[in-house]
Amino acid sequence: MWNYALKRLIQGLITVWFIATATFLAMHAVPGDPLSGAKAMTPEIQQNLEKKYGLDKPIGQQYLIYMKNLAQGDLGISFTQKNREVNDIIREHFPVSATLGIMAVVFAALGGSLFGALTALYRNKWPDNVIMLAVILGISVPSFVFAAFSQLAIVKLNGLLGVSLLPVAGWGTISHMLLPSLVLGLGTMAYLTRLMRSSMLEILSSDYIRTANAKGLPATRIFARHEMPNAILPVVTVLGPAIAAITTGGFVVELVFAIPGLGRYFVQAVQQLDYTVIMGTTVFFGAFLVLMVIVVDLLYGFIDPRVRVS
Amino acid sequence: MTEPISSVKPPLLDVHDLKVEFDTYGGTVQAVRGVSFAVEAGKTLAIVGESGCGKSVTVQALMGLVPMPPGRLTSGTAELRGRNILGTSKIDGQDFRGSEIGMIFQDPMTSLNPTMTIGRQIAESLEVHRGWSRKKAMARAVELLEMARIPEAAQRAKQYPFEFSGGMLQRAMIAMAIACEPAILIADEPTTALDVTIQAQVLDLLGDLQRDHGTAIILITHDLGVVARMADEVAVMYAGQIVERGSVDDIFYRPAHPYTVGLRAAMPSNNPNAEHRLLPIDGSPPDLFSPPAGCAYAARCPHAMRICNSHEPAPFTVGPGHFGKCWLHHEKVPNGAQTILSAVEGTPAGDLVAAASQSAEEHS
Repeated sequence: MWNYALKRLIQGLITVWFIATATFLAMHAVPGDPLSGAKAMTPEIQQNLEKKYGLDKPIGQQYLIYMKNLAQGDLGISFTQKNREVNDIIREHFPVSATLGIMAVVFAALGGSLFGALTALYRNKWPDNVIMLAVILGISVPSFVFAAFSQLAIVKLNGLLGVSLLPVAGWGTISHMLLPSLVLGLGTMAYLTRLMRSSMLEILSSDYIRTANAKGLPATRIFARHEMPNAILPVVTVLGPAIAAITTGGFVVELVFAIPGLGRYFVQAVQQLDYTVIMGTTVFFGAFLVLMVIVVDLLYGFIDPRVRVS
Repeated sequence: MTEPISSVKPPLLDVHDLKVEFDTYGGTVQAVRGVSFAVEAGKTLAIVGESGCGKSVTVQALMGLVPMPPGRLTSGTAELRGRNILGTSKIDGQDFRGSEIGMIFQDPMTSLNPTMTIGRQIAESLEVHRGWSRKKAMARAVELLEMARIPEAAQRAKQYPFEFSGGMLQRAMIAMAIACEPAILIADEPTTALDVTIQAQVLDLLGDLQRDHGTAIILITHDLGVVARMADEVAVMYAGQIVERGSVDDIFYRPAHPYTVGLRAAMPSNNPNAEHRLLPIDGSPPDLFSPPAGCAYAARCPHAMRICNSHEPAPFTVGPGHFGKCWLHHEKVPNGAQTILSAVEGTPAGDLVAAASQSAEEHS
């Protein structure tokens, strides 16, 4: 088990290195650089600046310098924000994105497995039809539409009740987090519901559920001990990539709900070709996702004994 | 069935006129068409027949394992010690499945929960039916595994199904089925998925458990070698009906239905001296979407008469506890059924029984 974890971690490091290299090359392939902004500059100023930031060196050398700094955990200083280290940006804003993302994943996983199991148990009856309709909506409607509508609904609701039930936007308390994380997790929840439904349907007609029935176990026990643990395995498998999708895809929701997350910096940096911030956030997100996938895979071993041994 | 004249007390399980249908896109399949049989305590009833003849559906209907819909019980009663169990899963508020009737299935590889330890799966029955604590039930599960001749049972109980071989899984299944000491054990083709050397072990285990605990066994199989080895009573099923029923000797020495004769002739013999050719039964079973009006076997029967196509034969009693659903037993048939049925055979019946038990012996 520990050997396996170590092996996965080393593989993960290699993956992160690939991500960093690919991002570096892609970034430099884009025409322009952080200094070619709107401001008029004399060639002398530009040269001096390039020298200061090391942009005048050959690209191979820049790459080596970057990798050396990266290995030491130094992501550099932002080009566009005065005296702001990329490390500081991440340290300040990532916890917000992570909290939002993790809450969204929890919503998605709980809701997805619960609704998926329900649809399978009530196949072709009204709960199945209602939930599957909602699932199609959840998959096809983009999150900013849900975000806007949910804000509108909260405003109306607050107005109707005369008290502020939930804040419409902002960040800080648990009540701020509820709505955005729900909206952010909705698409994934819909996807997981479908996955859980097909997985559960397969389990329901399996031989060992018939055995459990032949043993005369109560339906609740069969559901909790025999159906759920087996049906949930595929859902756990995709949870790693789902965490990835949610934490990186949170930008739009962060924007709509005015949440000071990392997503905003990520997008801004790309627009302004802020080399260090692009590299820093991309590598950081990449590393985070790789780590999540590893964690989920290790977790999977605890749920499925067949994986644990091999 | 006949009136219970022979025995004063009613049988342990009395199934009467069981009918099961399935709704499919192609129409309604009449899978089981009026099956009646009785099981005596401590005896083995073998239900034999080819694939699709309704043997599995019969016992699954008893156990409430037929998915409904698409399945449907259209008639029948099944009385376990005088109480009806058909269409219900509970007697006196308690589930009889697992406690009164245990069941083992054909494919042990897929019939156990892959994410639960073997020991837990056995202990579960005891926790549910007897209200035992987890620890007590687990200790009993280890004993049961030992009883099922699983070596190092204590360690094995903590393992998962994928760590067991097929034969061991089937023995674990048996341990699970007998955990609550049921009066009846239903074995639905228990050896079909296993290779022949393991088959013999599993059959031996079933036989020993029956002897030690007095469990009645309903054995579903299409292997006449298994029947010769295990059964006291045999019910031969064809197209959703029991066409012949009798003791194991009746079935092998005094068959009362052409289908039974055909089944026996289609059995391979490993006696090199026997001038025995494997004789397949021509044709295929009737379409159960619209079963024939007369005898279901008429189209394949070498002795079919005109009446066979139009009228369903009644069960003719040909001996004590032995009946065959065949018009040949009618008094107006010249020569008599026994002469006709034994004349078609290439080998005398005795040889086949010898071959059957011999092949069973060689498995062990």
